[in-house]
Amino acid sequence: MAAMLTLAWVYLRIGMMFVGGGYVLIPLLNHLMVERYHWLTLRQFLDGVAISQLTPGPLAILATFTGVRVGGFMGGLVATVFIFLPCVTLMLVIGRNYHRLKNIDTIKKTLDGLLPAVVGLVAAAAWNLGAASLAGAKEFIVLGAGFALFKWTKISPMIVILGAGLVGLLIN
Amino acid sequence: MVGLTGFGGGMAIVALVERVCVREKQWITAEEFLHGLAFGQILGPFSLNVCTFTGHHLRGIRGGILAATGFIMPSFLLVSLLSWLYFTFHKLPQLQAALKGTNPVVIALIVVVAMDMGRKQIRGANGAVMALAAFGATVFLKLNAAWVLLAAAGWSLAATIYRRESC
Repeated sequence: MAAMLTLAWVYLRIGMMFVGGGYVLIPLLNHLMVERYHWLTLRQFLDGVAISQLTPGPLAILATFTGVRVGGFMGGLVATVFIFLPCVTLMLVIGRNYHRLKNIDTIKKTLDGLLPAVVGLVAAAAWNLGAASLAGAKEFIVLGAGFALFKWTKISPMIVILGAGLVGLLIN
Repeated sequence: MVGLTGFGGGMAIVALVERVCVREKQWITAEEFLHGLAFGQILGPFSLNVCTFTGHHLRGIRGGILAATGFIMPSFLLVSLLSWLYFTFHKLPQLQAALKGTNPVVIALIVVVAMDMGRKQIRGANGAVMALAAFGATVFLKLNAAWVLLAAAGWSLAATIYRRESC
């Protein structure tokens, strides 16, 4: 029960910091799950990102993965509900006061101004994860191939990740 | 209410919702949809937020919650299942090997996302400095990402207010 409350509280806080699209979650979750609470190893975290890309939902579904790790199915449910609670609540409030809220310029500009920091954080996450988990030429080749596919083709990440799994199975 | 199963991440889903809710069912006008999209970028994943907004528009609070739940449910169940399989079987050598292949690709995906976001979001020297500062603070100073984000929010708010006063 105590574990569930911690889980709920942690995810509620993450849910409130969730700006600029789902990718800001990668640095935030990496820090909390791996470094602070040791709920996941780095490898498991990366595998979780891969799994979350296999579904139609947003990246935030990564919360479900870590929740399942900590507390089974209920843990997954708690994590998912709480991470989405702040943004759903906010959208409902906005929907209610929709006609009065058309001049939210200050908020909008503040958030736009904040986005470069999100870019920096996402890049830093790539750096940290890469530094901690990449070893050997094979992995760098796979990374390069993945990079090219994501950058210059429109193949869905789901397909690319499944393909990478297959490649991994073949070469290892 | 809306059993959404659109694979392929954020923008793809927004396009799908637009087609179904605006054009096919005419639940919401294009203009309202765009407003929902703008609000949706404030907090959280906007694909989810657009669904909530549309749901709320149709049926009030309950509609919003239903739409959000309906949107998350398929992914949630799928990830729960996959996670369970993962944590049960992750010692299997075959799965280990497969995941070794996905690892670098996940990092590649994050790099590409950072680059694409960078191209879209960083305008001018200010933005570039902020991105670099955030990167440096996390990589070299090992600062907590949440604090970096808060500091950036404070800075950005101050800059916005300052600009408004001065013009």
